[in-house]
Amino acid sequence: MTTAVDFVNLALNGLVEGLLIALPALALTLVMGIARFPNAATGDYMTVSAYAALGVQKALGVAIAVAAIGAAAAGIAVALFFHLWVFRALARRRPVASLVASIGIAFLVRALLTLFVGQEQQTFQVALVRAWNFGGVRLLPTDLYAALGAIVAMAALFALLHATPIGRQMRAVADNPDLARASGIRAGRVMLVMWACTGALCAVGGVLMGVKAVVMPELGWELLIPAFAAMILGGIGSVPGAVAGGVLLGMVQELSIPFVGPSYKIAVTFGVMLAVLLLRPRGLFGSAPAAR
Amino acid sequence: MSAKGRPEGELLPPGGKARSAKGAPVSAKGRPEGAPASPGATAQAARAAPPLLAATGLVKAFGGFRAVDDVAFEVAERQLTGIVGTNGAGKSTAFALVAGQLAPDAGSVTLGGDDITRLSPSARARRGLARTFQVPREFTHLTVRDNLLAAAPRTSGETLSSVFLQPRRVRAEEAAQAAIAERWLAFLNLAAVADLHAGKLSGGQKKLLELGRVLMLAPRLILLDEPFAGVNPVLIGEISARIRELNATEGIAFVIIEHNLEALKRLVSQLYVMDRGRVIAEGDPAAVLADARVQEAYMGGVI
Amino acid sequence: MTAYLVAVGIVALIYMLLTLGLNLQYGYTGLINFGHVAFFAIGAYASALLTLSGWPMAPAFAVGTLLAGLAAWPIGLLSLRLSDDYLAVVTLGFSEAVRITIQEERWLTKGVQGLPGIPRMFQSLGIGEYAEIATLALLVVVNAAAVALVVHLVRSPYGRLIQAIRDDEVAVEALGKHPARLKVQVFMVGAALAGLAGGFYAHFITYLSPDQFLPLVTFYVWIAMIIGGPGRTAGAVAGATILMVFLEGSRFTRELVPGVSEVQLASVRIAMIGLALILMTLYRPQGIFGERKE
Repeated sequence: MTTAVDFVNLALNGLVEGLLIALPALALTLVMGIARFPNAATGDYMTVSAYAALGVQKALGVAIAVAAIGAAAAGIAVALFFHLWVFRALARRRPVASLVASIGIAFLVRALLTLFVGQEQQTFQVALVRAWNFGGVRLLPTDLYAALGAIVAMAALFALLHATPIGRQMRAVADNPDLARASGIRAGRVMLVMWACTGALCAVGGVLMGVKAVVMPELGWELLIPAFAAMILGGIGSVPGAVAGGVLLGMVQELSIPFVGPSYKIAVTFGVMLAVLLLRPRGLFGSAPAAR
Repeated sequence: MSAKGRPEGELLPPGGKARSAKGAPVSAKGRPEGAPASPGATAQAARAAPPLLAATGLVKAFGGFRAVDDVAFEVAERQLTGIVGTNGAGKSTAFALVAGQLAPDAGSVTLGGDDITRLSPSARARRGLARTFQVPREFTHLTVRDNLLAAAPRTSGETLSSVFLQPRRVRAEEAAQAAIAERWLAFLNLAAVADLHAGKLSGGQKKLLELGRVLMLAPRLILLDEPFAGVNPVLIGEISARIRELNATEGIAFVIIEHNLEALKRLVSQLYVMDRGRVIAEGDPAAVLADARVQEAYMGGVI
Repeated sequence: MTAYLVAVGIVALIYMLLTLGLNLQYGYTGLINFGHVAFFAIGAYASALLTLSGWPMAPAFAVGTLLAGLAAWPIGLLSLRLSDDYLAVVTLGFSEAVRITIQEERWLTKGVQGLPGIPRMFQSLGIGEYAEIATLALLVVVNAAAVALVVHLVRSPYGRLIQAIRDDEVAVEALGKHPARLKVQVFMVGAALAGLAGGFYAHFITYLSPDQFLPLVTFYVWIAMIIGGPGRTAGAVAGATILMVFLEGSRFTRELVPGVSEVQLASVRIAMIGLALILMTLYRPQGIFGERKE
């Protein structure tokens, strides 16, 4: 029998997971809005970053927050590398070319990671703290920190998009690429900054996911479909939408557990994605419909 | 020849005398003899019988921007109509509303008196309203001949079961359509490139290819979106001649969006000028182009 | 050695069937199916479960093929409302949902434990080792028939129209056609071919478990199609063969380079597939034989 308190706990956990799903969803929506293809390697950029942070922590014995800097460097580097090598060259072709290539990148990155670090699950060195208990409602301090970390990253992105010249240019390109080009915006620079943002978001997401759960080569790949679903739920190209979509999806996933069991998470995600595409293709906040 | 139950799919080759299958229902609706040459005559004809195409009160907004704002126009049977206007005046959007690629926010479109506002693009095409596109949408990896054949009115060869169960019937229908396609290819001077992939054609040839493709539909009305854009002067003359010939022998009406005013003026009997989503002048081409408002809004003294 | 070659041949021919189906969907019609493995799984499990419950093999195969085709129907309908990219994501999600369902519905599929003891093809004839050769022969015939079917289809007016849809769907609609009907049909036919391949797989491997149906299989088929060149039937045949040579060839590297673990070898293989997807997309989108430009 699932009690009300259990539901509150599930909802709380869903909220935290949702905030973590929102990070790759934001990365997806940035790429979708500006480079105009669904980047299937998004999750694997997260995985690389998580392992980078793990490596930094092991080598230097520093706190997780410091190790995250290493993760960000790795995430940004890998995102820029594949942009410069692959996606820039495919920009003039149909989106399916970039999509197929991004699948290739996803496999390549994950396989190389498995090859060099092995399949074992690893964990970050985080001080073990007992959960706070508020009359049955339990909250793990690490979850709280993960949620706060995600919120800080999102706020930083929001500030970048709305309060800096390059951010305004990114939004202009997302709105109307032809018009943006006509008004003298340098698309190449916008693209570089966008991929750097993508890498950074993936890095934060990867580390926080690793803190909340474990680090393994499939960490990011398994988040790909939830991140897609969150993006579609929130509305493609919408930054607040990706956040809301992530949170909503996280809670739906958790709250479905008493009814269908934990293993059906991905199927629940798929169901949510289908329902949105069929019933409200523009998502919660989107302007352009995903379907026609 | 063509699929059962679609007599209007019947198509006569260029130079054919009359369009028996098609002419019948049209004249039954009381189409006046010959094309009215002046807007006054058009209005008169409209009272007597529904015009071939009529758009009224068309509105289409993108976000807050009204691309097409309360636009109306009329095309009589066999009439050649031109639409001019600056880039962004709403001409192509108006075409998309008439042909069904876009749904209007308000207004209606009728074809031969029937309301077609809510029909899909394909349903409109099957009723004889065909269009080409500003940027040619050729089937890149198909040959020029196959581009035309792909447009052939629905035959049994497009049904999965018939492909396997009635191969003989499919072959016979295919041969009939191929003969028609061959004649249009010759008519449009595309026979020499019939076996090339359409993606390899020049811009002007692609315009001709699109025209050939819609001719396969045996349409009553063709909307041409910038048929002369990026086309060399010799070919412009040729395309104009073909349009005139199709109009005279097949009785096809045309609505043509074009920036090349010289070529257009010589071709059409009625001209609409659009500016910022609205029709600002209409009527006899020479008179319209002499209009001060048109000179100001559009030409900027070009002519 | 002969037994080994026969086994490799059988797997190659199974991949060939899968590639023919995907090529019909993507290569000829432009439908981005990232969930091909789902239909393969449905065909495999349906045929296996039916034969294990006592059905003869032929009707079990037929039902598996049919079910795979029918499972594609709702997804095909959905494809009408989605632009290409989203269809890719939705099909990928579908294949994972199918795999999880197989994993969780233990009462039916025995979950991760797997489904052992699936009857081998031609086993009941009592012809011993010749049973596998007979399977190989049947697969050759089935593939030849599938190739003939696809070639006949793509050369028909129907085939011309699906290729027109691939090139420009808006133009097809403007010409008075209904792309919807053809897209759904092609999706179903391609999925049925995957289902048929699944039947052969189940009765050759004789043991099924959900982890045989990871998205990786879908992209094995994609790389086979891309190597051969999308929209070329002969390319699908060649691509599947090349894929098989690669997958099997990589096995031998283990004998040449001692100390390589199974996990490491699998990683190298997946990395190579990923790299091949990137390089082919960048440099040879028309396949390794084609001269056709995008």
